[in-house]
Amino acid sequence: MARAFRPVVLTANDLVEGDVVWWTGAVWSRDVSDAEVFDTPEAAEAAEAALNTPEHAACTVGIVRVEVEMRDGAPFPTLRREQIRAERRPTFDYLPTSKVSEAA
Amino acid sequence: MYSYDEFDERFVRERVAQFRDQVARRLDGSLTEEEFRPLRLMNGLYLQLHAYMLRIAIPYGSMNGRQMRMLGTIAEKWDRGYGHFTTRQNIQFNWPKLKDIPDILDALADVGMHAIQTSGNCIRNTTSDPFSGVATDEIEDPRATCELIRQWSSLHPEFTFLGRKFKIAVTGASSDRAAIRVHDIGIEIVKNEAGETGYRILVGGGLGRTPMIGKELRAFLPREELLPYLEACLRVYNMHGRRDNKYKARIKILVHELGIDTYREHVEAEYARIDRSNTAADMAEFARIAEQFAPPAYPELPEQSAIFERALKAHPDFAHWVEQNGFAHRVPGFMAVTVSLKPVGGAPGDATSEQLRVLAEAAEQYSMDELRITHEQNVVLPNVKKDELFALWTLLKSQGLDAPNKGLVTDIIACPGLDYCALATARSIPVAQEISKRFSDPARMADIGPLAIKISGCINACGHHHVGHIGILGLDKAGVESYQITLGGDPANDASLGERTGPGFSYDQVPGVIETLVETYLGLREPRETFLQTYRRVGMAPFKEALYADAA
Amino acid sequence: MPTLRDITGILEDAWTRLDEGADAPAGPAIYPFPGDVAGNDPALTGIHIANDVDPESVVPMFDRVSLISVAFPAFTDGRGFSIGRRLREAGYTGRLRATGPVLADQFRYLLECGFDEVEVPDALAARQPQEQWERAADAVTLNYQRGYAGRRNILEARREARGV
Ligand code: HEM
Ligand code: SF4
Repeated sequence: MARAFRPVVLTANDLVEGDVVWWTGAVWSRDVSDAEVFDTPEAAEAAEAALNTPEHAACTVGIVRVEVEMRDGAPFPTLRREQIRAERRPTFDYLPTSKVSEAA
Repeated sequence: MYSYDEFDERFVRERVAQFRDQVARRLDGSLTEEEFRPLRLMNGLYLQLHAYMLRIAIPYGSMNGRQMRMLGTIAEKWDRGYGHFTTRQNIQFNWPKLKDIPDILDALADVGMHAIQTSGNCIRNTTSDPFSGVATDEIEDPRATCELIRQWSSLHPEFTFLGRKFKIAVTGASSDRAAIRVHDIGIEIVKNEAGETGYRILVGGGLGRTPMIGKELRAFLPREELLPYLEACLRVYNMHGRRDNKYKARIKILVHELGIDTYREHVEAEYARIDRSNTAADMAEFARIAEQFAPPAYPELPEQSAIFERALKAHPDFAHWVEQNGFAHRVPGFMAVTVSLKPVGGAPGDATSEQLRVLAEAAEQYSMDELRITHEQNVVLPNVKKDELFALWTLLKSQGLDAPNKGLVTDIIACPGLDYCALATARSIPVAQEISKRFSDPARMADIGPLAIKISGCINACGHHHVGHIGILGLDKAGVESYQITLGGDPANDASLGERTGPGFSYDQVPGVIETLVETYLGLREPRETFLQTYRRVGMAPFKEALYADAA
Repeated sequence: MPTLRDITGILEDAWTRLDEGADAPAGPAIYPFPGDVAGNDPALTGIHIANDVDPESVVPMFDRVSLISVAFPAFTDGRGFSIGRRLREAGYTGRLRATGPVLADQFRYLLECGFDEVEVPDALAARQPQEQWERAADAVTLNYQRGYAGRRNILEARREARGV
């Protein structure tokens, strides 16, 4: 049985920086809460197709869909993996103390 | 230590320039991502969850202070101030930018290092015994053989687009500290009846989705035949290995499906066709390499050191560290020591740029400029005078590098897992940290004795969980992290793969589960029996019962 | 038209590829393996082999053909490198062609495994112009492996430096 469609956003990694990026409908943002949410499969497909261009391939790697739910009015991924990506850091204190302030 | 000659140096520089050009061609669209990906992988560059990851080879785990210092500089200048040592004698940086990679590779070339073939479907970094050259049970220092293989396998025209990655490990000692039985090809340096030194070749070992123990392909291969013979092994694999399914593409599957005897027939037939004289390395070249691994000029010292003895008495912490992390050296008055990268609650294998620099200093000042990286994600200083051990310990302590836990319950191997890795199904580092905190009491650690916990964040088994005395495999069960426990694995001479206890456990349960397993062992053990020995004696049943009885 | 090139540059392809069972044209033609080539003029005869063909089975044809084309169905499928090497080791001296979407970055390896020329499909050729192939061929000028054609061999260079 097909699972009910859940809202999705589109994400990739920035080609040059490697950072996680989210499609806002106009640009690639580092912040998941900026992402444009697609509520139907058709809308998601259309957006994916529109991004399938040499221009986007020249600045991103691996554009994929990610399921989201709304948290405080902004999209946030449902899967653990994507949540970790959205937070842009590991789940534990990974930085040497000397670097904590810099990377914040 | 091997140092590059002009040809090695030019080779690596040209390779860096080539990659610089490939990056430019990716950016200008000449190369698609699909085309660029294998090229970048062959230069050690992955794309992970948050960022690129650069994996740098530390060939056979051997390096000097200058090289270690450069790793510290790279961490500081192009990354976030730390690096992660892996189970394959590599170091990974988790946050570099694509545009900086060619500069990082150039910086590595400045100190005779590279990232060539640390990923991709090619022959990977050749790994070895971290105590090579100093262990008392060694027939021959395996590093000369490793270096020969490193050179031969670098940009091999025929074997750079294999069906899957290919890992070779070499040991020169009777006790296997290089896990050669779980490598695609494992090489053991042996002597034949005539007293000649040659190689015993194992094939088809590996971990991952389908763990297997390697099988003997040749009991004795004369030294000069090594490269043509490897060429035959690889060619048979390249032509006949499966390419229809990524999970069945390793040589272990080919060997398993054909059977070792049929695979051997193929190899021998191929070997008979090869023009050996035209393929083999000349033995003068082998001798040139071997010379560079000649033992350093050890000063003559008495076996006993008064300074050392005094320090042992005066500083129980130091004595404890020596007892736990020391390793007997073949030269009187010397010791090898393991610097544990597993402080209680730390991320296994991580080292900050300050720590990398202190390690460099420690090597230069106290270890005749040598360092080794172990497949337990620790660092070894192989050549320390007993007279200077205390001074070394003091230096290491200043950077928190004095954890006295080698081989103990907190010396946990963990892969990057879901915190970094794009393939992960669950986290592994935080699991290691929680377990480590549970067992932080040194007296308790010592009482528990040798215990290898190994954690992988997915079925690929980068954390070697199959060969952990306790193995932990993180999986995804309908969006929730779930951890499967195996018992009784071991990578050494009598290698064995762990057995599953039963249903998995949630993230929060894991530390308690480990605690239960350890308590069960403590209750069952006979005097001086290790966890593994007890498990091998009593079997799974009592452990299973302890874990699942309440749940029933 | 696919692009054919060797180390000297882009070549005019004089060969016609024949489908299974097609009639032979007047000029040079490449037959799909095993091909019914008995009685042909070897100078005008080539064969094309898939990359799962056992090179041993091609050995008896060496003096009946002057071109062997080896399929590279994908650039990541490296079986063809071993096939090229095997054909050369078995004594094949005619023209050896790699056919498929291989990258400029693999050109050097192909030459070393005994290939003379490379035939790549249009789409790829358009993205990777000749100038990139020339650069790729010279990117790394040294190699460690003995017995492979081409680059300067480091072990030989060392032997010379030692004066033996
Ligand atoms: C974070 C990036 C990493 C990625 C994407 C990655 C990917 C993989 C994959 C796909 C496999 C399975 C390959 C196969 O069986 O064909 C594998 C196996 C392995 N990896 Fe990793 N790995 C990563 C990090 C590491 C680290 C950090 C270590 C060491 C701690 C490591 C050491 C190994 C080992 C030892 C194996 C196992 C077994 C074998 O080769 O049979 N990898 N890795
Ligand atoms: S075992 Fe899995 S999660 Fe861990 S590093 Fe390897 S691929 Fe990633």
